[in-house]
Amino acid sequence: MEKGRREAKKPNYSSSSPDEQRRLRSNNFHSNRSENNAQVSKRGSTCSSNTLDENYGQSQDSSNLPSLVGTCLDMCPARERAQRERLRDLSVFERLNGNPGRTSPSLAVKKFCRTMSTTHIQASDVRPLPVLQGTLDYLLSLLDSSEHPFDVVHDFVFDRTRSIRQDLSMQNIVNDQAINMYEEMVKFHIISHHKLLRCSSNPNISSAHYLNMEQLTKSLLSLYDLYNANRKFNSINRNEAEFLSFYVLLHLGFNGESMGESLSTWFRLQPSSVTKSKEMRFARKVLRFFRVGNYKCFFSTIASEASYLQFCLMEPFINEIRVEAISCINYGGYKLHPYPLEYLSKILMLKESNVESLCKACGLEITTDEAGNKFLPTKQTGFCRPKGGFHEYSFLDIERFQRQTMVKHSRIVN
Amino acid sequence: MAYLSMGEAHRRIADYLSRFSEAVLSQDGSSLKPLLSVSSNSPILFSLADALNVFQDANRLIKQSDRYSQLAEILVPLFRCLQNYRIEHLVDAYTAFEKAANAFLQEFRNWESAWAMEAMYVIAYEIRVLAERADKELASYGKNPEKLKGAGSFLMKVFGALAGKGSKRVGALYVTCQLFKVYFKLGTVHLCRSVIRSIETARIFDFEEFPVRDKVTYMYYTGRLEVFNENFIAADQKLTYALTHCDPQREANIRLILKYLVPVKLSLGILPKRRLLEKYNLVEYNNVVQALRRGDLRLLRHALQEHEDRFLRSGVYLVLEKLELQVYQRLVKKIYIIQKQKDPSKAHQVKLEVIVKALKWLEMNMDVDEVECIMAILIYKNLVKGYFAHKSKVVVLSKQDPFPKLNGKPVNS
Repeated sequence: MEKGRREAKKPNYSSSSPDEQRRLRSNNFHSNRSENNAQVSKRGSTCSSNTLDENYGQSQDSSNLPSLVGTCLDMCPARERAQRERLRDLSVFERLNGNPGRTSPSLAVKKFCRTMSTTHIQASDVRPLPVLQGTLDYLLSLLDSSEHPFDVVHDFVFDRTRSIRQDLSMQNIVNDQAINMYEEMVKFHIISHHKLLRCSSNPNISSAHYLNMEQLTKSLLSLYDLYNANRKFNSINRNEAEFLSFYVLLHLGFNGESMGESLSTWFRLQPSSVTKSKEMRFARKVLRFFRVGNYKCFFSTIASEASYLQFCLMEPFINEIRVEAISCINYGGYKLHPYPLEYLSKILMLKESNVESLCKACGLEITTDEAGNKFLPTKQTGFCRPKGGFHEYSFLDIERFQRQTMVKHSRIVN
Repeated sequence: MAYLSMGEAHRRIADYLSRFSEAVLSQDGSSLKPLLSVSSNSPILFSLADALNVFQDANRLIKQSDRYSQLAEILVPLFRCLQNYRIEHLVDAYTAFEKAANAFLQEFRNWESAWAMEAMYVIAYEIRVLAERADKELASYGKNPEKLKGAGSFLMKVFGALAGKGSKRVGALYVTCQLFKVYFKLGTVHLCRSVIRSIETARIFDFEEFPVRDKVTYMYYTGRLEVFNENFIAADQKLTYALTHCDPQREANIRLILKYLVPVKLSLGILPKRRLLEKYNLVEYNNVVQALRRGDLRLLRHALQEHEDRFLRSGVYLVLEKLELQVYQRLVKKIYIIQKQKDPSKAHQVKLEVIVKALKWLEMNMDVDEVECIMAILIYKNLVKGYFAHKSKVVVLSKQDPFPKLNGKPVNS
């Protein structure tokens, strides 16, 4: 497949072999990928028709349109820079010496905006691939800074990376470099997914979390399309198995109908090199424990085998399973043998004090014996699922990952 | 290829054109059918295609004569399709057929009665089949296979033309089934929802009006959707409908239905006889059923591994995996039965250690913590009646009906 720039192809019938002729004739039907925003490739980016519509602009019979090639050499087109200076629409990261009305080419980054169609875009407003790469590197480096609270940094990087994705799709860049960039952006969204849970100071956090989830899913599905587009001879991309495992982990809690395709449908379309990969086996194992309700193995497997990114994705379900486990134990445990919190703590991978908080949030009482050991009496009738959303109970008690969150992100590491 | 004279070629083309226009004029749908079945590889169409390649000026023939010029929009691209199909240029064949099909649909809309329904069925079938083959060709060149999606759009248009009050209504289910096949192949099964809604809830259609053959196919596909979404009761209803109304001679179709019905029934606690699985060559389920009968977790895992690709491909893997809870139930029940034989008064107390030992015997290494967890789940989901005593590491079973049967209900999720 071609990489990088794509131009409109003219049919060339001067070659001699009939096979070559046939190939060129079929090229004529598909010289430009921008029309594939409506298509779903067989390997299963099942929701991508929606995704690509947003990124790639409207569907048009554009087989004869040349791909747009951007000519903007700055992170932000000059036109937009000037306009936003005038309107004083500059993020804190873009202000020159803190001046809300002044920026510079090294600080300003092009904002995301919803465009209606690709025909009105000027090449000078679009950044070519090398500039996009540089812009992405710059944005990701901001995640290291501790000057601003995370949710502020997140908002900025969230919006500006969305604009990068837009520029990539407008120019139909679908090569390996695009894959790497998408992988970095997906990682950003995953880590944000995890870190936003802890920004309890911001009252708008749950909407930021939701929007982040939306873009996580969109970029992930676009990434899958890129993998498919670059597939050679049934091989899979270096990181493909891991990124595909994310899809499974994202769907842990959902039943089929609420999130587009059910997992069963999705699995049907994956090649066996993917489903048998180490990362996918891990995801499938966790999925099985989740579905069966086997909390003991769910936690022990995550604790010993999950990568940091996989853990971030599973975090919301972790508490869901903890609550289910508590409900289960409360239901079936012998009334005269109150359940020791020490043991529960081991099974649920949760510090005892947090186990206690969680039980109380479920409307359950805790007893203490003379020696100070705490117990959960079973067969309590007051059990209820905690309200208030998961971010109030974002316990990160899995040791291996506690250490990781304290490490600064010089580059998003796995 | 034998030598074909210009005269003979001309004759064949004129013959076809004459048959085509006659069929339209006399509103004879069944005569029109064979003239449109591009992929049927019929000798008539092949010989016509050869003729078209010799006599290069068929378009003039069509446009000159009054009899045919009205149908030119259909015939010109149809001829192009036949020619391309003959030399296996499948992408070109599809594109031409799509044009012809759209033109045909235009005319179809204008014809008052449903005389051309069978011809429309052929068009609906052909567009899907030709699109699939075109996509194969595209994929083999490393190109985007996007023709099947186009065929889906066309079929939606046809559906729209049939969803009304007239006699054409009866064809809607056939077209729906073609759409299902398209969406299933593409993996975009969520798109089935809107058509299903039109068929089932909008007041346009009376399901009983449709031909049985179409109803069976419809229930088969909607039943499969229910399996993917794990709505087992609904899946059971639909697939059973398909099974009971399917022509018993069509063994291949019965097998397809059973392929999905068996996992559904298993999830409802109903086990098929070995005879049935063997008769319809569904032997991949043999070990799964055995595992459930014996409480043999190792056998279940082994069966899933052995047929992993096949089960994943058909979409039943996750359903079968979840049967493990019922396998555990059976294992504990067997332990209980053995204990009852030895000492009925103590049988209802099952030490967790005993379960651990039984699992070790099956080469499954689980510690007592995990076994307690499993027992807690079984109790929670009402597969076992009783309680577990953490301190004494024992499960105490209810004296009455400690292992409730599912009886056609899925395990509580």
